[in-house]
Amino acid sequence: MRRHAAALVVFGAAALAPLAVRDAYFLDSLVLILMWGALSAAWNVAGGYAGQVSLGHSSFFGLGAYAAALLGTRWGISPWIGLVVGAALATGAGLIIGYLSNRLRGPYFALATIAFSQVLLIVASRWRGFTKGSEGIPVPFRPGFWSMGFTEKAAWLYLTLGVALAVYLVQVYLEASRMGYQLAGVREDEDAAEALGIASRRLKVTAVAISAALTAICGTFWAQYVGFVDPFYVFSVDLSVLFALNAIIGGVGSAMGPFYGSILITSLDTFLRAKLSGVAAGLIGIHLIIYGCVLIVVVRFLPQGLAVGIGQLVARKVRVAGA
Amino acid sequence: MLALEAVTKRFGGLTAVRELTLRVEARDLLGIIGPNGAGKTTLFNVIAGTYRPEGGRVVFDGHDVTGRPPHAICRLGLTRTFQLVKPFGNLSVLDNVMIGALTPIRSVAEARREAERVVESCGLADRAGMPARSLPIGLRKRLEVARALATRPRLLLLDEVMAGLNPTELAAMVELVRRLHAEGLTVIVIEHIMAAVMRLAQRIAVLHHGEKIAEGPPAQIARDPKVVDAYLGEEFALE
Amino acid sequence: MAALPQLLVSTILLGGIYALIAVGLTLIFGIMRVVNFAHGEFLMLGMYLAFWSFTLWKLDPYLVLFVSIPLFFSVGLVTYFLVMRGVIGASHNVQIFTTVGLSTALQNLALVLWTADYRIVRPWYGSVVVHVGQAAFNLAQIVAFAAAMGFTLGLFAFMKLTHAGRVMRATAQDREAATLMGVDTDRVYRLAWSIGIACVGVAGVLMSPLYSTYPTAGLQFVLLAYVVVVLGGLGDMAGALLGSVIVAAVEVVGAYVFGTAWKEVFYFVLFILVLVFRPAGLFGQRGAETLGV
Repeated sequence: MRRHAAALVVFGAAALAPLAVRDAYFLDSLVLILMWGALSAAWNVAGGYAGQVSLGHSSFFGLGAYAAALLGTRWGISPWIGLVVGAALATGAGLIIGYLSNRLRGPYFALATIAFSQVLLIVASRWRGFTKGSEGIPVPFRPGFWSMGFTEKAAWLYLTLGVALAVYLVQVYLEASRMGYQLAGVREDEDAAEALGIASRRLKVTAVAISAALTAICGTFWAQYVGFVDPFYVFSVDLSVLFALNAIIGGVGSAMGPFYGSILITSLDTFLRAKLSGVAAGLIGIHLIIYGCVLIVVVRFLPQGLAVGIGQLVARKVRVAGA
Repeated sequence: MLALEAVTKRFGGLTAVRELTLRVEARDLLGIIGPNGAGKTTLFNVIAGTYRPEGGRVVFDGHDVTGRPPHAICRLGLTRTFQLVKPFGNLSVLDNVMIGALTPIRSVAEARREAERVVESCGLADRAGMPARSLPIGLRKRLEVARALATRPRLLLLDEVMAGLNPTELAAMVELVRRLHAEGLTVIVIEHIMAAVMRLAQRIAVLHHGEKIAEGPPAQIARDPKVVDAYLGEEFALE
Repeated sequence: MAALPQLLVSTILLGGIYALIAVGLTLIFGIMRVVNFAHGEFLMLGMYLAFWSFTLWKLDPYLVLFVSIPLFFSVGLVTYFLVMRGVIGASHNVQIFTTVGLSTALQNLALVLWTADYRIVRPWYGSVVVHVGQAAFNLAQIVAFAAAMGFTLGLFAFMKLTHAGRVMRATAQDREAATLMGVDTDRVYRLAWSIGIACVGVAGVLMSPLYSTYPTAGLQFVLLAYVVVVLGGLGDMAGALLGSVIVAAVEVVGAYVFGTAWKEVFYFVLFILVLVFRPAGLFGQRGAETLGV
């Protein structure tokens, strides 16, 4: 249980928050932190554990968001069904991207994933007949469980907490399971792994597909929460980069890493958006400049992410001081 | 156990392996030698599934495994090591071996036990928790063998496991291979270091320009003029 | 068939501009073996340079052109020393996220400084249309094409005829051999990167009268540049030139047949197809991709 101490603290605190705090803005921030954490953790399944660095995960996010929104607004189908449909679509897309990952290495795979997400963006934003084109789809609020119409922020908090926990557990499973070990081998040296009997291509595709499905599920929840699906946002490259950014800065090697990244980045993001209004609104984005720079530094000097990296730096200083 | 029937492998205009026919029976210890560029590693790559041959067949245990992917061949019981070792650098020695063990064994706990056993028997127990990249070359080679062993092969292909080892390490490796063979494993060894192969192998096949030019017990090979001819210009000692 | 001359002309004019972007990228990729995800951001900065010079000081973009060369070359040097130098030999992931981080930082810098509003540069020749036979084209396009061709050919000449150029080509072909020959690879990379950045910055200035300027303007062009570079064979400059024409043709014809709304889909799909089926482009070695070029 000690391994999961951090998770218990973080998720436990989140679970208890609504009891202590009633402020809607605060709870909203928590929902977003958990949501982005879950999204980054989902990315981590493909990017961290399987070593397939994708910069096109917004493809899956958008599919999840659109599936539920379209099914809901066009045919009145419950977003819970939309969730499943979105996840299925994303799994299909994940299989395609997984196939690409077996043909392309490193940066070329990343580029291909960007291209894929942009194709979806263009289709979504131009297909007026089906997706209402560039206007996007407003998701109407209909109270009730089946339409995901929750009036209480706390309900959303527990929902996203559930998703976050699920993705956390998927990562934990990947760390300690047979599949996880085999993936670690594939990540380290694919040829060696193959020679040891690991079906590396199939494994990578599986990991990407799982990552895709999880991302899409988050996409569905997010669309219902925010109430609007904008193709230029849900399929954007910025979003894809953000998933990776959170995970890398927080630490791709651990199940909690992406959540740490999200805590750091999302909270700052929501804080800035709230505090900087009016003239100062122009400063929104300033934290991303910093995060861009932090990414450059972290990826070179603290490859295990800020959390572990800083921990190690501190430990080294303490050791030196004590010596 | 393993039969190569007229196997041919070409790379563009170069024929690396030409109509090679070879048989390996269970419990054999076959050595494959030949000057650099003779096609030895290419042969291993064809057997293990990394390359698909242009001609001929590879039959393992009655199954035609020609052109099947490496992981499938490993699962059938044929495992190979790499000449330029490929450890999972950031993972511990134990984890490295465990990943091999997870091919035949589904349970992680059981695989770990098996890995511990293999690590112990290969003399790597004191480094079990250390990252593989921290190992010197001699121990990396041993890890490569241990990891392959963990897959519970019936036929083991060792690609130049002796290269780069100092005399002590060399003796230890020879001893390890001999012990594995004595315990029932069928082994094919590619080697460039004559002394080791001559001592170990019961039978030796000599490759030159992709063709088998001689095959037989070590003493016979040492006297074969074709073999001496092939190695002309290369320093070696037939001990 | 009446449309053919127009399509042809449009293709050539567009291709010329894409060539300038792609050629800079080819230089960086071919010599440094780095996929620069931030390439589009320098294009965007070039566009903003032209916009602000025009808006604040009424300077014509074509005047700004001459200043932009040394300016972007310097920007290249600075970013090389601050960011790129340390990651030349690093793993793929480090390289990817270093340039991605750079891209994020620059995009948001533009966002914070100049807001997300779409900006347009409207010089006097922006709306002048020239007719030749059945083809009509915009004067700004012609000038952009001419200037782009001039720079590209100048770059070719530099690479083929000067000593520095030969040294760079040698390093591209075999990094280790070049080092053994005493080539200062750091200097080569510095030069390749800075020239590459200068090219794309200049391209941005040239494009400012033709496209809207906004912080994320770089994205679509950088992807396009990669389509060109991959088609042309990752590091082959002549290939990049040919690739530019092909991509421009796909875009122009696609827009003509399916309408401008869908044209981008074509080169993205083309990109994925090329990466999967002909990864080393039209001239490169087959399979270079999966070998991890």
